[in-house]
Amino acid sequence: MKKLSALALLFAFCACLPGEAFAADGGRPSILGALWKWAPLLLSGFAFNLLISVLAMALGTVLGAVLGLGLVAPSSGLRRTSHAATQFFRNAPWLVLLFFCMYLMPFEFVVGGAVVPFPGWVKAVIGFALPVMANTAEIVRGAVQSIPPAQWEAAESLSFTRRQTLWMVILPQCVKRMLPSWMNLYSLVTMATSLASVVGVSEMLTLTADALAAEGGRTDLMAPFYGFVLFCFFVYCYPIGVWTRRLEARYAVK
Amino acid sequence: MKKFLMPALAMAVALTAGSVAAKADVLDKVKEKGVLVVGVKTDYKPFGFRSPDGSIIGIEPELAADVAKRLKVKLELVPVISSNRMEFLKQGKIDLMIATMSDKPERREQVQFIEPLYYSDAVNILMSKKVKVTAWKQLKDAPICGSTGTFYNKPVESEYGAKIVAFDGTEKPLAALKQGNCVGFLYDQSLVQAKLTEPEWSADYAMPLPSIMETPWAMAVAKGEDRFAKFMSDVTKDWMKSGAIVALEKKYGIAPTAYSQRMHAQFK
Repeated sequence: MKKLSALALLFAFCACLPGEAFAADGGRPSILGALWKWAPLLLSGFAFNLLISVLAMALGTVLGAVLGLGLVAPSSGLRRTSHAATQFFRNAPWLVLLFFCMYLMPFEFVVGGAVVPFPGWVKAVIGFALPVMANTAEIVRGAVQSIPPAQWEAAESLSFTRRQTLWMVILPQCVKRMLPSWMNLYSLVTMATSLASVVGVSEMLTLTADALAAEGGRTDLMAPFYGFVLFCFFVYCYPIGVWTRRLEARYAVK
Repeated sequence: MKKFLMPALAMAVALTAGSVAAKADVLDKVKEKGVLVVGVKTDYKPFGFRSPDGSIIGIEPELAADVAKRLKVKLELVPVISSNRMEFLKQGKIDLMIATMSDKPERREQVQFIEPLYYSDAVNILMSKKVKVTAWKQLKDAPICGSTGTFYNKPVESEYGAKIVAFDGTEKPLAALKQGNCVGFLYDQSLVQAKLTEPEWSADYAMPLPSIMETPWAMAVAKGEDRFAKFMSDVTKDWMKSGAIVALEKKYGIAPTAYSQRMHAQFK
């Protein structure tokens, strides 16, 4: 059934191409010809989107795990600070965080006399990692708190320290519970990477606009080119969504 | 601990400050690194656009390449957009900006413009070949498509008596022109010329009128880079003298603008 609906979508994408899509007329390449010509560049841009999403997710997850443990820390000071950081980055628009990173961070660092370049896409990774961090922190907190308190008490009665309880009893059970929401978050980050085009990172959406401009702004190319972008993101994100739902069903807390 | 930290911090600040001071002369930095970094557009055909292999080509990248050749350094092109080009220049991320930037007083305050201004856009009409006109005065009562919000719709209406039918964006008025709702499309000359490089438009349309209301474009370097600005100013004069810009316009299939031709004549 799911395969069928995906197929139907692909068919709808093809059907929205005008009839002349397959034939060249009067010197200018056909729509599919133009798409074929630009596809390698556009796909290299998409690979860049994926690279940004993976790195942002990795960085955000590591930071978010630390922040999430801060949210459930026994020290109230640590808990409050973590709470403030989480709320701030969770409630800030992603695009604003991206602008903030883009225009307020230097383009290169001087470390011990050596100049280390700090390109725009790295800033984009940091810009996306910040909301990922805050959302991961909430996911970690939710998972830790969803473990029945009886387990903490049982561990304590077996003379586990707090750290031992956390690492050996609580967190291993959390991983399963966190996985679906974390994957969902990854899907969102991947789709959000196209925002980087607004701040001038040469990712897929930027390159698509460039390609359309290079083709002389032909209006008949716009729907197929942006359709191709949609299609690429869909093909990548849809299986993640399906997989997430399966994991959710398997790990559902009864 | 604090006693140790403070000098370390002061040193770090001094180091950063040192790097800022060293940055003061971009010409030395470029020669030392062996790379000139130029910010160009990637979505403005034929001035700066992408080829399918991803490289950036066009009139402005070629000008940038010529500057690098004169400095005997390698060229690195950085894609810029209107919202970040001046920021990149101020940060030092790019050494030089050649990015279709029109001359505005508030921009002159932020970055160092290179005089004489290297190029100029203007206002013109993409006209159906069926209409035979040679002067703007002949447009009296002619239906002309326009784009809403441009500064020249009103003057063209009041001075030349054309009837402007305004649509938003550029695609709608162009579609209206094709459907015969009007005889021409009043817009930036650079776009009119870019359209005329497409066989789709060049068959039935042309740009028969002289351009009006020139809006010059400026190359820029960061504020305070007087030596580099002087160098670029000499390079620009040399381009005008040799007719390099007119030649590039021809190479990229657009008719040389009145501005380029005038400057070429003036410096020859």
